[in-house]
Amino acid sequence: MKRRNIGLIAKKELLGLSSEKTIVFAILLQVFIAMFSSFLMVGLTAMYDPEAIEGYSTIAYGVGYAGADSALIDEFEKQDDLILHRMDLSQALAALRERRVSAVVYVPDTPPDAEEPVMVTLYLIQNDLQSSVINVKVKEVLQGYEKELREVRAGRMTTFPVSLNFPESGGGENFFEFVYGLLIPLLVLLPAIVSAALIIDLITEEYQRRTLETLMSTPVTFAEMVWGKVAACEILVPVQAGAWLLLLGFNGIAVDNAAAILLHASAGGLFLILLGALVALHYRERTSAQFIFSTALVVVFLLVMAIPYNPLNLMVRLAVDTAGPVHWPILALVAGVAALLGWAVTAYARRVGEGVTA
Amino acid sequence: MSLASSIRTIAVWEMNRSMTTMGRSVLPLAAGLLVLLVLVTAFAAQSGVHMQDGMYRIGIDDPEIARIVAPDSRFTPYLDSGAALWENRFAYDIVILQGEVYAADTDKGRAALKTLERDYEGYVSYVAAGEPDLFAAYPLWIDLEYVKSEIDFLATQSGQQVGAPAEAGRPPVPSGPVEAVTPPASAMPVSEETLREHLADTGSSHALERYTGVISGGSTMEQFRTPSELSAPLPFDAIILVFVFIFPLYFTSQFFMMSVMNERVGRAGEALLSTPVRPAAIVVGKALPYFTIMILIAAAITLFAGAPMTILLPLVPVILFFLANALIIGMTSRSFKELSFVSIFFSTLATSYLFFPTVFANTHVISIISPLTLVVLDIQGDGFTAMEYVYSTVLFFATSIILFYVGITNFREERLFSQKPLASRLADFISAGIGRDHPHLSLFLLAGFTIPFVFMAQMLTLVLFFNIPMPLSLVLLTVSAAFIEEFAKSIGLYAVARERPGFLTPKNLLLGAVAIGFGFLAGEKLLLFATLAQITESIFGSVLFLSLQVLWMPLLLHIAGVLITGGFLLLWGRRAYLSGLVVASVVHSLYNLYFLMGALL
Repeated sequence: MKRRNIGLIAKKELLGLSSEKTIVFAILLQVFIAMFSSFLMVGLTAMYDPEAIEGYSTIAYGVGYAGADSALIDEFEKQDDLILHRMDLSQALAALRERRVSAVVYVPDTPPDAEEPVMVTLYLIQNDLQSSVINVKVKEVLQGYEKELREVRAGRMTTFPVSLNFPESGGGENFFEFVYGLLIPLLVLLPAIVSAALIIDLITEEYQRRTLETLMSTPVTFAEMVWGKVAACEILVPVQAGAWLLLLGFNGIAVDNAAAILLHASAGGLFLILLGALVALHYRERTSAQFIFSTALVVVFLLVMAIPYNPLNLMVRLAVDTAGPVHWPILALVAGVAALLGWAVTAYARRVGEGVTA
Repeated sequence: MSLASSIRTIAVWEMNRSMTTMGRSVLPLAAGLLVLLVLVTAFAAQSGVHMQDGMYRIGIDDPEIARIVAPDSRFTPYLDSGAALWENRFAYDIVILQGEVYAADTDKGRAALKTLERDYEGYVSYVAAGEPDLFAAYPLWIDLEYVKSEIDFLATQSGQQVGAPAEAGRPPVPSGPVEAVTPPASAMPVSEETLREHLADTGSSHALERYTGVISGGSTMEQFRTPSELSAPLPFDAIILVFVFIFPLYFTSQFFMMSVMNERVGRAGEALLSTPVRPAAIVVGKALPYFTIMILIAAAITLFAGAPMTILLPLVPVILFFLANALIIGMTSRSFKELSFVSIFFSTLATSYLFFPTVFANTHVISIISPLTLVVLDIQGDGFTAMEYVYSTVLFFATSIILFYVGITNFREERLFSQKPLASRLADFISAGIGRDHPHLSLFLLAGFTIPFVFMAQMLTLVLFFNIPMPLSLVLLTVSAAFIEEFAKSIGLYAVARERPGFLTPKNLLLGAVAIGFGFLAGEKLLLFATLAQITESIFGSVLFLSLQVLWMPLLLHIAGVLITGGFLLLWGRRAYLSGLVVASVVHSLYNLYFLMGALL
């Protein structure tokens, strides 16, 4: 195989991509998703954590309280962002429906040291983003009340948990785990999947448009042609993934070890691209190849996710800088598997090539 | 042949052909992959998902405490003496010294602290669950009741929270009617045994159970929880379900797209076009099997999930929409890679349009612009009214019908087998709709037909921008809405100018602009009957549908916009098209903002 020929083919495919302006769609897609996720973030953060946006200094949620007196009232006193209103239950529920209060609790007159449990009824607005916030806040209050009741009834207990003392946390949901543990690996993986779909298109198109004979009449061998296409698709992976990391940076999401993450993305991308190439060489028809590849992709993805220290997990660890040197051998392993696949693709392509020229 | 019988012939032929190309070699491998999928799913369920392993470092001085975090793979624990830990405290996200928790003052540290708090709650509950006296360990039970409440856009208008910011002091008084409620009973209606079982269950609960619980409606037990079980009620449960519905539809529409594309590869469709069958029959016949398959898949999922069959109703326009777009993409793409990119792009847009509003189901009126919200409501057992059905599906029906019409009109040899770039092919498709004899009537109709698409694009921007703080969201919405309208109005003119450069004279431009302005207004008026009153009456609505108040002003504006873009085309040719659009959009935005200021001040 001549490197020059592979380079020529890769150049041809990349030029084709840019002249067809398909790459514009890829860029548009990235910008759209980035815009969308950042808007979603801004919106959700504003809803979850009002203080996240300037202009709201402090916000307090009103809670309607109905029923008997209890230690729960003191627990509510401790929270400065919840304001308790003693109300009649019917009034309180009507106010909740109009969102004049954010939650309603009803407390029965069960004494704290009774045999039976205390049954508090909590009314929230159904399926509401705001309810999620209130839920978290009210949960803290109720847990404090539970702790108190447990102390009252401690004489009836047999074992006690190890106690931990937590500092005051700021409250409010934060999206750190969602962004670093899910969004970043998925966004980095996306270009690899797109490139794998692309290689299938490039190979099956040569078959279906019957342009193979023309290509084979040049000095380029079939295997060189396949590798040229693979190279073109592989170049796109780190470029697009890098663009993602830059976009995330513009959105104020700092990612550590970007270079190592891109290496992992390139290795994983190469594996997927070669898998796509194998499927495409076997079927030579886009519909079947894409169908089989998509199914295979789901299988591979599920399998990889279930293995500890998988590349996606390593990307997460790298992004939050807790990876350690363990990711290098795994990168080598993925690259090795990709090399094996590459060998299989070459062998297959040579066999096909002999058939074409014969 | 009658139309119906030729449609049937084409449909049968399409089925046979796709089965034979796909069948022989694909099915065995697909079956093998399915078996693998089941095995891998079982493996994944057993081993768990290892996506977020080792995100946090935690330093602990006591092995007893280390056992608490051991089951959570997100933590990498380090055991060391207290002094050594304190020395290297900056290497950890959390340090626990003698039962005191210290967290790093970073986003990561705070996230780690939250995770640790949840783990600790789980551990305390686990210890308590072993108690012989259940009500000493769990003295407090919460009966969770949900109350329905919808808000309109007015709530977010003044930059106000969607919740209820409370003033201290006097309790709020509801303005509406108050229904008398009987206070709930204080006795626990469920036996102690049931509660124990419930506690044992929750320890081992699988993430998926939350989603299946949505369908089965949950037992009575579901509403009694201990305080630590009060997890935040994410409004995304039903949405996961919806995803299960949409994914197969998206997949099947890909097959239709490919089938259309394959007719064009190597002029394979020539034989089909030479038959006496009309293009309408060909397109409908080819689409029919895929439509049927999608309906069957959706029905099967509905049966399997035990959801009501009425959820198929809102899915029909969504299916049509996917098919219509698949047809157009299959007819316009020059190559497979273009097909891939365009279809990925389209499905991302469509999916966000369908999904994002459903997040706000039961919360915000915006949710009703997506038919999937009706599916969510239906699964919850709320159902939907005929009016709501019209609101959320009319745009999908309208755009699908128009796209199918465009596809059928252009299903001809010179269109199918040309190799022009995407943009100019689309312009060809549009100019096919402009008659030579009545160009102005055609422009009028074309402008009217673009309205559903304009509304859809504007709804998408509304969905994007509505939850951003107030002044910014209005400006963004105004500018993007103006640009979308100007673009839609200019395409007819642009297509004619491309096709017949001589057509664009000052007189014709003026006439055309008037025709387009009238067509646009007529379309807007017709469609506004079917759109959501709550949206049109809100401040956002006045941005999008200013034409409600006065008639001649928006008409003049529409005409002026076309004149600006057309003027640029006339004076500097087609290269000036974009700059003309920008100028027209700026003028349009300024007009809208001026009006809004008037409305606001």
